[in-house]
Amino acid sequence: MLEADLVKTGITGFDDILLGGIPRGNVILVEGGIGTGKTTLGVEFVYRGASQFGEPGIIVLFEVSPEKVSRDALRFGWDLAALERQGRLKIVFTTREVLRQELQQADSVLLEEAAKIGARRMFVDGVGRLFGDGNATNESRSAFHVLTEGLQRESLTAVLAVEASSYDDKHRANSMPEESIADTVIRLRMEDSQRAVLRSLEVVKSRGQAYQMGRHTLQILDGNGLRVYRRVQALTQPRDTAATYDPSERISSGIPGLDELVNGGYFVGSTTVVAGISGVGKSVMGIQYIAEGARRGERCIMLSLDERVPQIIRNARSIGVDLQKEIDRGLIHLEYDSPQEIEVDVHFDQIERKVKEFKPTRVVIDSLSTYASTLGTLGRIFRDFFNALTALMKEQKVTTVYNHENPEMLGMATMMGQFAMSSLVDNIILLNWAEIGDTFRLGMTVAKMRANPVNRVTHECEVIDGKGMRVLARELRLLGPQKPFSSFAGLVSRAPERRSFDAPNIREPNTGTIEENIG
Amino acid sequence: MPKTIDDKHEPERIRRLLLDAPLIQNACAADLLVFLFRHPHTLLTNEQLAAFVGYSMKEVAKALDLFSDAGLLERAIQRSSHAARMYSLVLEGPQGKGLKLLLNEACTRQGRQHILAALAPPQPEKAAEVHLRLLKRA
Repeated sequence: MLEADLVKTGITGFDDILLGGIPRGNVILVEGGIGTGKTTLGVEFVYRGASQFGEPGIIVLFEVSPEKVSRDALRFGWDLAALERQGRLKIVFTTREVLRQELQQADSVLLEEAAKIGARRMFVDGVGRLFGDGNATNESRSAFHVLTEGLQRESLTAVLAVEASSYDDKHRANSMPEESIADTVIRLRMEDSQRAVLRSLEVVKSRGQAYQMGRHTLQILDGNGLRVYRRVQALTQPRDTAATYDPSERISSGIPGLDELVNGGYFVGSTTVVAGISGVGKSVMGIQYIAEGARRGERCIMLSLDERVPQIIRNARSIGVDLQKEIDRGLIHLEYDSPQEIEVDVHFDQIERKVKEFKPTRVVIDSLSTYASTLGTLGRIFRDFFNALTALMKEQKVTTVYNHENPEMLGMATMMGQFAMSSLVDNIILLNWAEIGDTFRLGMTVAKMRANPVNRVTHECEVIDGKGMRVLARELRLLGPQKPFSSFAGLVSRAPERRSFDAPNIREPNTGTIEENIG
Repeated sequence: MPKTIDDKHEPERIRRLLLDAPLIQNACAADLLVFLFRHPHTLLTNEQLAAFVGYSMKEVAKALDLFSDAGLLERAIQRSSHAARMYSLVLEGPQGKGLKLLLNEACTRQGRQHILAALAPPQPEKAAEVHLRLLKRA
């Protein structure tokens, strides 16, 4: 009888994909081309079993010498020789011809060797040609069947690696007979991504269990071994916990005057996009947002793809915010990740782990447009990534502000078309320059505020050295010839015209002179 | 190229290592032991083993018997229904004493050359030829 328990592979991230492990006794076929990580996967499976789970194992090699496998394993910190000395591992060198003959025997010497050390796991590297060159002959099918029976008889959970030539996605018309006989089929790939090449892992089938479908990112890391990153689209659990907390609770934006425009602040767990062209003050808003959180004793994260941490700290200092002090207090975490060749699953995993570990209430992502230029907006990668990110933040009750560099006139169209993210976004704040006379003046428009009344009036803002950004009162007792924004029409479309009629009666964020407002 | 001090002393060092490993009396024994050192658990037929090391089956069988008698090698009992046998090298213990250093040397090309040279029977004709060539150069 098969045991009902799951065998943990011990490979980082892989057991999560397998929802705990692989049913004991399963015959696991690992298919893949050269360099995809088949041998590393098989060796790690046996190594982790012997070293972490008290399950001795046996590794069967054909072309590669055990000496080289042991040497390569040391690169990952796996001392196979030590396990062999302790009788927890045996590496057997043989030929396919011998193995094939062995399989025909009821008293297989190989399986006897496995039994001697009480092996529970086995890895056979390169079994492909053992069963023919991928032709679905009766002979290869029955040879594989005999092998699986032998493994089952010895209660071994075995990983069998199959060479690529037989399993090329593009060239094979039918599935191999081994695939239908094997209980679990794992496919490893090297995939082109622009000029980079990324490894992926897919569980094609696995009898007796549920698992996360799709291609997950696979990395081979020195000093660690394999690491599997769940693809961002695959959810570990339904992310609907956002509804379990008070959705009417609000959080301050940190920008004087803005909270009044957004009815008292952003909703907790909401998603806000601040859109505007380069240099308009999006990052300043982000810095003020996390600084306000820290001031209230909340933990905050700012993730930047555009500026490195020292640069962010310097920028903050220029608007009178000492981020270093808050970092030292453990309230703010700044992180920079290079946008070059981002592996989206890996990147998302890092964000997820950081969010769960640091438990912030506020997060700033700077910027969405850099993600878009790196991941591309064609296909689903960017949208799926953004979808997963917003779901994660809501699940963790994080109120998130995403900066979005957006060169277009009204600042909304790409969010609905090219980026297709508007439905995921709760609030949209547009920052625009308005050219009035010979001066560019900064305008802020709350274009969308989900579940809130919004007047979509463009308000003037200023960013002052040592002070930061503030939203100015619409009606100002101005000193000098400058007219307030309420005197103009067409500010957002950047064609302001002086209007002769009175401004509509709207709620004002501030009153007073500019000096009073920024003072 | 002038030889370094280490190069000059290498043959002597190898000779001393071989004195500690009396089981290695010829090239076949040396190469077979290196193969088993690299493949400590081997499941092969006699023909395959001979082919891997590149010696006749007779020479290989003789060396295997020697290793087995010395307790350096464990062999599964040959069964009529199985063409292959399991060979396991046992270096831990007194029988492996002195062998590891030699085997580590033998794993490099230069080390193997030194060992094979030290194991080769003396060839007086060749030695005389070398002597003559050196005299001519001088």
